[in-house]
Amino acid sequence: MTDHTSSPWHRATAGLLFVLAALWIYLVWNAPIDRVQGVVQKILYVHPPTAFAMYLGFVLTGVGGALYLWRGDARYDRFAASSAEVGVLFAVLMLLSGPIWAKGTWGKWWSWDLRLTLTLVQFMVYVAYLLLRSFTEGSERAARFAAVYGIIGVVLIPLNYFAIDLAAGRSIHPENLGDGSLGEGMRAPFWAGVVTSLTAFAYLLVRRLEVGGLRAEAAHREAHDALGAEG
Amino acid sequence: MNVLLAILGKDLLIEWRRRDRLVAMSVFAVLVVLILYFAAPPNRAEGGHAHVPGLLWVAYVFATVLGLGRSFALELENEAMSGLALAPADRGWIFLGKALANVLIVMVVQLLTAFAFALAFDLDLWPIAPALAGVSVLGAIGLCSLGTLFSAMAVRTTNREVMLPLLMLPLMIPVLLGAVRATQGLFEDGAVPASALQLLLVTDGVFLIVSFLGFEYVLDD
Repeated sequence: MTDHTSSPWHRATAGLLFVLAALWIYLVWNAPIDRVQGVVQKILYVHPPTAFAMYLGFVLTGVGGALYLWRGDARYDRFAASSAEVGVLFAVLMLLSGPIWAKGTWGKWWSWDLRLTLTLVQFMVYVAYLLLRSFTEGSERAARFAAVYGIIGVVLIPLNYFAIDLAAGRSIHPENLGDGSLGEGMRAPFWAGVVTSLTAFAYLLVRRLEVGGLRAEAAHREAHDALGAEG
Repeated sequence: MNVLLAILGKDLLIEWRRRDRLVAMSVFAVLVVLILYFAAPPNRAEGGHAHVPGLLWVAYVFATVLGLGRSFALELENEAMSGLALAPADRGWIFLGKALANVLIVMVVQLLTAFAFALAFDLDLWPIAPALAGVSVLGAIGLCSLGTLFSAMAVRTTNREVMLPLLMLPLMIPVLLGAVRATQGLFEDGAVPASALQLLLVTDGVFLIVSFLGFEYVLDD
């Protein structure tokens, strides 16, 4: 039996995450306090990075699903399921950090603008994805259904964007968080946050894939033993 | 094409003989209208009807979800689902046959709901009836395309009744936004805004293509 707990991927991402997180905390600690928003502005170093990781998770879910339907290999399905789970985790982090920042700067917890609404919809789609997996009997069928639903969830992102854009009011959410809009001294902690968040995503994905692999192995062994007992 | 017509004919014949789905959906829709009236009564002041198009679509969507849940449940009897899966035909056409049957049933329910709605909310829908019917059909196509696909999935899950709305509703945002905006335009100035119509048409097209392709992987024997 392979020792899953010490795979090179696991060790590499864990080590990298440890170093990056320390650097990120140092940079955020020393980042200047925003003159208008105060200390609450430092959520900038958490909120958009978790959003990037969330969208990465959802796109990978669609990609994993498509590969599964194409190749029929259960490993792709485990990859899609793991990406969705980690993506939903980051979505929760983002949906928690966002309103705290919004209350501090806009004076209200939520605004029904394009980006917020779209993200909430995507979050609901992937929660439904996870429920579909757990309510479907038979791993092959669950994988197939989930793949179809996961792909549809990604394919419809542009359509949802277009639709909500038509209905949403004028946005108060910052439009671009690129280099240009970041103030003096904010660039380094922001990008450190993005890299740390994506590394944390990779670490959790690797861990989740290992768990998925172990579960599949256990199920396989159980089936094998049952057949052995019958014979 | 023959497969489409065969499935469509079969589903409509079953509905004609049993009429259970149509009756259940219609009664449910009228009840929803009743509840909506008491939950959000229109006020006589200027702009008091602004939320009415949204309420109409809430009634449509709830009734549609209820009806779609039955669409594949009836295929479970006598293992008819396996027959569909094993049929030597492109599964996309099977999907279109089922979806079209659902659209037609939903259209009948929409007609009855609109009538109940007009009575409850004291609306004169006659002048806009043809356009409202057009918008309702476009909305029904959007709801029933992805809805039929998800119904085939949900019927194979342990929590069938709960699963269908959970799968369906988050992805119905474009249809609902388009349909509600179009209906709002009709109620306010008697014309459908071009942007809403465009959104409905694009959404219907995308949903139909996606469901047609996805259905291949959803039926199992």
